[in-house]
Amino acid sequence: MAGLRLENLRKKFGAIEIIKGVDLDISDGEFVVFVGPSGCGKSTLLRMIAGLEDITAGDLFIDGARCNEMEPRERGIAMVFQSYALYPHLSVFDNMSFGLTLDRRPKAEIEARVREAARILKLEELLHRRPAQLSGGQRQRVAIGRAIVRKPSVFLFDEPLSNLDAALRMDMRMEIARLHKELGATMIYVTHDQVEAMTLADKIVVLDGGKVQQVGAPIELYKKPANRFVAGFIGSPKMNFLDVTVTRVADGSAQVESPSVAPVAVQASGFAAGDRAVLGVRPQALRDGGATALGSIKGHVSLVERLGHETIVSLDTASGERALAAIPQDATYEPGSAVTFGFDPGAAHLFAA
Amino acid sequence: MRSGRILVVAGKAVAVAALLTWSLVPIAFVVMSSVKPGQEIFAVPTVYAFEPTLEHYAELWRRWGQFFDGLIDSAIITAGATALAIIASTCAGYVYSRNSSRFLNASVMFLIVVRLIPPIVVTLPLFPLVNIMGLNDTHIVLMVLYATFFVSLGTVLMRTFIDQIPRELDEAAQIDGAGRLTILRRVIVPLAAPGILAVAVFVVVFAWNEFLFAFVFTATKAKTAPLVISEMIGSIDGVDWGILFAASTTQLAPILIFVVLMNRYLVAGLTAGATKG
Repeated sequence: MAGLRLENLRKKFGAIEIIKGVDLDISDGEFVVFVGPSGCGKSTLLRMIAGLEDITAGDLFIDGARCNEMEPRERGIAMVFQSYALYPHLSVFDNMSFGLTLDRRPKAEIEARVREAARILKLEELLHRRPAQLSGGQRQRVAIGRAIVRKPSVFLFDEPLSNLDAALRMDMRMEIARLHKELGATMIYVTHDQVEAMTLADKIVVLDGGKVQQVGAPIELYKKPANRFVAGFIGSPKMNFLDVTVTRVADGSAQVESPSVAPVAVQASGFAAGDRAVLGVRPQALRDGGATALGSIKGHVSLVERLGHETIVSLDTASGERALAAIPQDATYEPGSAVTFGFDPGAAHLFAA
Repeated sequence: MRSGRILVVAGKAVAVAALLTWSLVPIAFVVMSSVKPGQEIFAVPTVYAFEPTLEHYAELWRRWGQFFDGLIDSAIITAGATALAIIASTCAGYVYSRNSSRFLNASVMFLIVVRLIPPIVVTLPLFPLVNIMGLNDTHIVLMVLYATFFVSLGTVLMRTFIDQIPRELDEAAQIDGAGRLTILRRVIVPLAAPGILAVAVFVVVFAWNEFLFAFVFTATKAKTAPLVISEMIGSIDGVDWGILFAASTTQLAPILIFVVLMNRYLVAGLTAGATKG
């Protein structure tokens, strides 16, 4: 078991800086998810921790020891790759025992550890098969098994579920959560899927453009996004962003309005009257009927998606923007009709334009 | 429309027949002549119905014992050259596949250019050097020479094969604690086996049949089978064609069997199922 510390970690490929100074503390046994859009540097950061990419500048500490120059095998880590990266010429057993064999462990110990991992992952029946004879989910379990047998202090997952279909992805997600509970090891998990991030993580690290945008517990990120990027990235459907003008500021709050947003005071600081700003409201925060609510958005219905348990209403606002409302029941709306959705100002966010 | 299709099929058949005739007739002639009674070999018109005989082979064994010594020398040199070429090409191909730099990219071009120079031009000036090193008339000199000719082609071939092995496998092995050599030995080589066999086929065929360099660099101790066959032609008591054809067939057989066997491996792809399914 081990904690990690990243201090001003940087990575350059030629003249291009991919990781622009990342500071991060990961405690022992924590499940941390790196999340962000493609090209944000999350996989690169993970590979730097693994030792597969050199660190251009900054320091990486695993279990208190600086390991910038250490070989991957000396870092006490194991990694599960997106493509599984199983050795196609070896059986499941040999795939899982490869690292232990290189380590010259006694045969009995290797056998015991592989059997144990196979039991945890329900792979006992498949130990003599080759990877080509396995389904996608089974291959993924073998890849995880290969990591488990080495008893690493840190598990690294690089988008491990993105090659699986939706149903299997959900099963494997729960399996990984169970594994974390069972093994108690530190896990770092890279994904671009925010549902995986929200459900698995103790702590989410949102990355964009090689920089950490926010670090925090999933619900904290959902409720208090530090900036517009995080607000837009976490939550589905995406948060609505509406251009507004600040009309008045008071202690810790700002009153905003626009042709489609009725004047409303939201919690904010650092704004002055007359500023352009962006109001963020989650689709789930919108409720039918503006009269009873303190904030409201007007528009015309352009599209209705009825999912049974929920209805997603897409509306074109008076200022020509698009907003989504997720109504938590089945409801009917006439496309083209005028509607007003209300929201609780406490659930709205104000960002600089 | 229909007649057009018939014409295409007929054209293909003629082309295949021509190709087969071109490549198989000489071989068939040599093999058949080796088991024909002596006086019927060059009989006009050609005798197709004859009593097969092994007398030429028996005669070859009795009179040309050195031919069989030559076969052994050929086998040793072929094995050595093949091993050398495979080891060098695999190591180099791995480096070319997994690393890139301006120097490496330029040197690939150089490898190919070197291959275009007539080998004898580079080799003959080596003669005094080989002499000084005391390597003249040894197995080693031919092993090294033959291997050298194929390292460039072999490297390019191996690079192509290794390029198809996903890099994640190297990385997974690295995480599993393998060093570069271990990765090469335990991951790359087993998966690049079809490539290795392909390179082996090239080297084996060349080394087994080569005449010119063997003629220049060996005399008695490392004399290969093709040299002995050439002596049969220049033999003072006239050419015994039956023996010559028997020797040629003996020389030809192992290589033919080898290529036919290897042919199956050349096509096999081992990496199926390596990554996403």
